[in-house]
Amino acid sequence: MNFIIVGCGRVGAELAYRMFKSGHRIVVVDSNKEAFNRLHPDFRGRTLEGEGLAESVLERAGIKEAHGLAAVTNSDTLNAVVAHTARAFYNVPVVVARNYDPSLRMVIEAFGLQTVSSTYWGAQRVEELLTNPSEKMVYSAGNGEVEVYEVVISEAWNGRTLSELLGSLEQCYPVAITRAGRSSLPEATMQLQTGDVLNVSSTFEGIGALSSRLASNSKDKKAEA
Amino acid sequence: MFVLIAGGGRTGARLASLLMNGNYKVRMIENRRALLTHLHQELPTEVIYEGNPIDPNTLEQAGIREAHALAAVASDDSTNLALCFLAKTMFGVPRTIARVNNPTNTWLFNEKFHVDVALNQADVLAHLIEEEMSVGDMMTLFKIRRGRYSVVEEKVAPGAKGIGLQLKNMGFEEHCVIAAIIRDGKMTLPRGDSTFQEGDEIVAVTSPEGAQKLAELLAHPVYPVRENKTVK
Repeated sequence: MNFIIVGCGRVGAELAYRMFKSGHRIVVVDSNKEAFNRLHPDFRGRTLEGEGLAESVLERAGIKEAHGLAAVTNSDTLNAVVAHTARAFYNVPVVVARNYDPSLRMVIEAFGLQTVSSTYWGAQRVEELLTNPSEKMVYSAGNGEVEVYEVVISEAWNGRTLSELLGSLEQCYPVAITRAGRSSLPEATMQLQTGDVLNVSSTFEGIGALSSRLASNSKDKKAEA
Repeated sequence: MFVLIAGGGRTGARLASLLMNGNYKVRMIENRRALLTHLHQELPTEVIYEGNPIDPNTLEQAGIREAHALAAVASDDSTNLALCFLAKTMFGVPRTIARVNNPTNTWLFNEKFHVDVALNQADVLAHLIEEEMSVGDMMTLFKIRRGRYSVVEEKVAPGAKGIGLQLKNMGFEEHCVIAAIIRDGKMTLPRGDSTFQEGDEIVAVTSPEGAQKLAELLAHPVYPVRENKTVK
């Protein structure tokens, strides 16, 4: 398929090479031809020096035949405007705009564009890893507002039910439970066993509450014993 | 009427003073330090709102919801486009006017970005200069339908060829209609037998061809009137 990438910074160069390796026809556009030095030496797509807003540049990049366009410069307004142009003037089926400055994410969202906020998402992941190293994030939806995590049931929760563990948590839903390599859809009444792997769909706040519940209850158990 | 101006460069600052003289309520958003120092010397403090003009929170705090018009005059075209789009879709501003910095971006300044009026500085200036060169002292009062016809005013120069001629014999045909003759501060509606006198101010509705003819009749005879209007 044909894709146009506007902006050949670190994100643009990485994206271009990945998609090229997956077998797509890629055109990378940047107003500064030095930027193309960031591309992997094996990249065999097209590079086009020019302004991403110029009609002639977009048309030379083949926007009329493009299956998708990514606007990944380090200017949020430029990304929003390029992506909106692709959609509103050329009906490009899929457009994605990168959000660079988290405080300007609303600008891209106001255009109703799909956005990837790598700065925001990256900062949140680092915080998660620093504060809750035991939980493992396996899927991130949107820009990380909701994520699917993997937690391991500790000895403290052996024999207790799933609804006891998750009952009063509002921002945390079970999606799968895996025992001895076999997964099933979780039921509220199911009895947990040590070593069960539980996947939950949760907000950042929700997984924090679940983690502290797993931790505090294990302490309680110890205190009781 | 309340006008919000996004961008405090030369154009924005000039516009703000102009509108304030016309008793408009004005607020300008700017965040570049170097410009702000300068702006504070030129404009009252309450007019200047410090912040990034593209940030929706800044726009809201600057009162965009009450604005009757937004003038997007930043030096970056994508900022001006995004501003017009946000102003209409998020904040319901009735009218948006945007500055085009780079003429190659003109094609984007339309209803798809919710731009009501786009002004391309280079283009406006170039046309004005061209006009000034070709028709001497003639002043364009306003343009009709974006350009081809204009309402112009010109004073009858001493010794001009048209002095004493009757209007019906001047040969304007379809290119030019004389709308008013202002003599000694009094306006008269011209008839076919009206004549021009030195010092009369003439108001006319005209095409470029008519303007050329009008200039030949009203200008000082030694003023070089060019045959070819376009300056290459």
